[in-house]
Amino acid sequence: MAQRLRAVDVAVIGVGMVGSIVAKELAAAGYKVVGLERGQARYTVPEFQSPAIHDELRFDIRKALMQDNTREPVTFRNHDRETALPVRRWESFLPGTGLGGSMVHWNGQTFRFQANDFQLATRTHERYGKNFLDPNLSIQDWGVTYDELEPHYDRFEYLLGTSGKAGNIKGEIQPGGDPHESPRSRGYPTPPMKEHFQGALFRKAATNLGYHPFPQPSSNLSQPYTNPEGIKLNTCVFCGFCERYACEHYAKAVPQTIILPVLLANPNFELRTGCQVQRINLDSTKKQATGVTYIDAAGREFEQPASLVITSSFSLNNVRMLLLSGIGKPYDPASGKGVVGRNYAYQTMSTVASFFDEDVIINPFMASGASGTMINDFAGDNFDHSGLGFIGGAFIGAVNTNGRPIQYHPVPPGTPAWGKGWKEAVLKHYNHTVMFSLHGSSVSQRQNHLDLDPTYRDAWGQPLLRMTFDFPQNDLKMAQYVTAKGVEIGKAMGAKQVAGAPRKGPYTTTQYQTTHNTGGAVMGSDPRTSVVNRYLQSWDVPNVFVIGASAYPQNASWNPTGTLGALTYWAIDALKNTYFKNPGHLVSA
Amino acid sequence: MLRFTRRNFVSSVGAAVVAPAASMLSDPIGAATPSGRQMPQTLPSPDSQTVYLFFNAAEARFIEAACERLIPADESGPGALGAGVSNYLDKQLGGAWGAGERLYRSGPWQSGTPSQGYQLPFTPGELFHTALRAINQDLEKRGAAFHDLPVDAQDNYLKSLETGSEDLDGVPCAVFFSLLLGMTVEGFFSDPVYGGNRDMVAWRMIGFPGAYADYYEAIDRHGVKFEREPMSLAEDGHGNLHVHPEIPASL
Amino acid sequence: MTRLASHGTAGFTSLLMLAWAAGAPAANSQSVVAVKPRTVNAAPCEACHGPNGEGRPAAPFPRLAGQSADYLEKQLRDYADGSRNNPIMQNFAKGLSDSERAALSTYYASLDSPYAVQAAPGDARLLARGHQLAFQGDESERVQACNSCHGPGGSGVPSSAPYLAGQSAEYLASALKSWQQGTRKNDDGQLMASVAVRLSAADITAASSYFASLGAPGN
Repeated sequence: MAQRLRAVDVAVIGVGMVGSIVAKELAAAGYKVVGLERGQARYTVPEFQSPAIHDELRFDIRKALMQDNTREPVTFRNHDRETALPVRRWESFLPGTGLGGSMVHWNGQTFRFQANDFQLATRTHERYGKNFLDPNLSIQDWGVTYDELEPHYDRFEYLLGTSGKAGNIKGEIQPGGDPHESPRSRGYPTPPMKEHFQGALFRKAATNLGYHPFPQPSSNLSQPYTNPEGIKLNTCVFCGFCERYACEHYAKAVPQTIILPVLLANPNFELRTGCQVQRINLDSTKKQATGVTYIDAAGREFEQPASLVITSSFSLNNVRMLLLSGIGKPYDPASGKGVVGRNYAYQTMSTVASFFDEDVIINPFMASGASGTMINDFAGDNFDHSGLGFIGGAFIGAVNTNGRPIQYHPVPPGTPAWGKGWKEAVLKHYNHTVMFSLHGSSVSQRQNHLDLDPTYRDAWGQPLLRMTFDFPQNDLKMAQYVTAKGVEIGKAMGAKQVAGAPRKGPYTTTQYQTTHNTGGAVMGSDPRTSVVNRYLQSWDVPNVFVIGASAYPQNASWNPTGTLGALTYWAIDALKNTYFKNPGHLVSA
Repeated sequence: MLRFTRRNFVSSVGAAVVAPAASMLSDPIGAATPSGRQMPQTLPSPDSQTVYLFFNAAEARFIEAACERLIPADESGPGALGAGVSNYLDKQLGGAWGAGERLYRSGPWQSGTPSQGYQLPFTPGELFHTALRAINQDLEKRGAAFHDLPVDAQDNYLKSLETGSEDLDGVPCAVFFSLLLGMTVEGFFSDPVYGGNRDMVAWRMIGFPGAYADYYEAIDRHGVKFEREPMSLAEDGHGNLHVHPEIPASL
Repeated sequence: MTRLASHGTAGFTSLLMLAWAAGAPAANSQSVVAVKPRTVNAAPCEACHGPNGEGRPAAPFPRLAGQSADYLEKQLRDYADGSRNNPIMQNFAKGLSDSERAALSTYYASLDSPYAVQAAPGDARLLARGHQLAFQGDESERVQACNSCHGPGGSGVPSSAPYLAGQSAEYLASALKSWQQGTRKNDDGQLMASVAVRLSAADITAASSYFASLGAPGN
């Protein structure tokens, strides 16, 4: 029998990036906030310290910082006609856990989406005509514009101290930045990161081809910085243990280094760790949440009443929470009806490897998570797609983050998988190869969706999330196109051999790509095709807000985190300025 | 006063102190006998430093020989054997990870598509014992243990595991091979704290500097080789390396 | 750089025993031989830094023996161009050519002298605190472990950070204070200033005492 606790104003599910920011803002505004985090508390000292953290086997291969897949995996199938089976080991995507969430071990790549992305359906139709798109695709507008989000992007970047070079300040193109970016009100809070040798080679080649290279925006900082919360971050030392690792130097912007000290000091906020939320509880009308039920680390069940529930866990877990709670109509791909689980998308990743002679010393191990040089000339709708048969694109860059040898030992195509030939090739190419990443957009299509698995359960007895996903043809065509462009850049660098590896289907869970899982609880103006309104408020249960990349109707050419940070501040403003004054639907359906 | 390099180490698992010097590794393939049949390769000395806790003797001999074919010793330096890869495998498979750490182990089980990944109930330890038993029995029937075969025959056998569809008592041979190869690469390139990559020999070969990693100044020296001995997370201030293969798979 | 394999098995083992008996952490050294090349005139240095680069801890004139050659060379360069502020050192450094600075740095890096004796701090808690800062850091001060950059046991990481182990306690403390106060600014990326501004006076003493104690026999 669940023990009923004293009511609070706000229950926050998941104290990662979003949960930390929301909790801090609402606690500072005077509300009593409880943060329910299923993982453990951890801090820069001692948990993130080196040399122990610089352990590739433990953190890269064994996934030490990730969600406990032995208790809560997901099930997966490419198509509805298959039976979904558990993802028994994380590989393709790596959900995080613990205080600070996945942001603790992100790469710090901090992007804004472009204005076009927020009205993708409208603008694609305008530019290319209504018949351009594959009818199977379900891309749609977001219900919010870039201009509305711009001040919140700015706020987020200044919270993190993001290091970069602006390309467009209030409409004026800035040399050295990205000319394709949508206008920003001011430059980045800190200057761009140092460019490594790979980046320099890329930049020269890209410039010679007429493209517009610029330094990758980085939330591993280029210099010491004090953020608006009064918290200091340090300079990144390019240790090459960024993604999947936590930063020992207070140089990576993570909740612990940008906001948690302030949040945890506020008596209005209470952190509870080891708490696995089971569901959001609804009243008899099913249109109002009464709070949440969770099970703690000792297996005890609690009911936490709350006036407002924010689900700010990882995108996949947000969607699952809605399904387990009965909030919103689950999507059925056969009939096309329902919304929860609809428009699940991912990221379409390709690579280009450029092999140089042994006198070209690359030192791949000297890198930060976001210290590359890149171009947006083939991202988004920055190029004319007429006649190409796809929409979307990829950023292309020399953005390699590490030289950790268990996973990084590039060899040319045709190299044997083992034996003397393999060993020779590894030694020959390890320090003489430049890897490009082509970070491609991911459109939504009707068949790709999330729902609850009928067979497999988590350790608490609840159905696992079931993922049905394969790459749309649109995205595979896009991957071919951008990879060819990447190969040209590789050749222009003067490499001896260039090998492009465009993403091919079917999508497999056995190979790491990204943890950019988006959609399933999308935002929009129309409740028939969205789960939350433009303020990320549930259409069905107005005192539930679902803040995560679960809100994205489709995924753009860049990492999702920057946009999620903007949406978080945007939703917080709606909560503080409008919702709390008059709780109820912020948008009439 | 005599001094020594920082990279000397003491292994806490296994008997001897020192990694085998290059001269201890035997020459590659021996000459053909007068009958024309090629003599078995004079194998590198079996790994005398490892005290096996998971593999029995027959399994250990297979593992040593097989891993050495996957990453052979050559003019650039030691292969899997010299790097202690068999020790790494032994300690991982005999430890928590081999017992199923980080593996979702609930049924029901059914085989899936390649996109769905590993769907067998075997823990890595169970998988190895099962597969190795089947392999050694099979080879016994054919008349020669793996480590007695000439290297070409060893390679052919490994290829048959890699690409074939033999069932090794329930373990598809390709699944076994894939795990063996993956763990061999791990044992070669992981931090020596786990018992492989002895004396950081693999890191030296590629020029990876290891666990101490501050490149703030060096990153500006574009194209300049970074000349520093590799450093393990397990070494102390006296240059001793303390092996602890039981580090868990989660924080 | 001498390699392990070239010593051979038996010879290596005895070297290992000898080194352990010597007690000191093996400081960063790029060669085995402690012979002063004829081209190096270290006499002006020896007046303060001792006949074998062991330093005079109480003065404080830091120990140079076995220090990273990169680090020594950078300090001499920074003294010469004024990026590091010390009138006496500036004077010496300005009088050296680039190749003389390089030769001196290499020479001192090659030394492996016995540690100059330093008074042990009476307070065991101070050493324990220093040990903690070295290995772990401190979350309330938001300071990372010193060893994360300065190497295992503070024995230095070539091309990245100098050794601290066995260094003069007074010198380490004055260095940390100068980073803290901004009178020393030649740390690229403000890496040392970022740390030093967060250390309390007690922690500066603790860290300095701890690292200095690693030069004592038996450590």
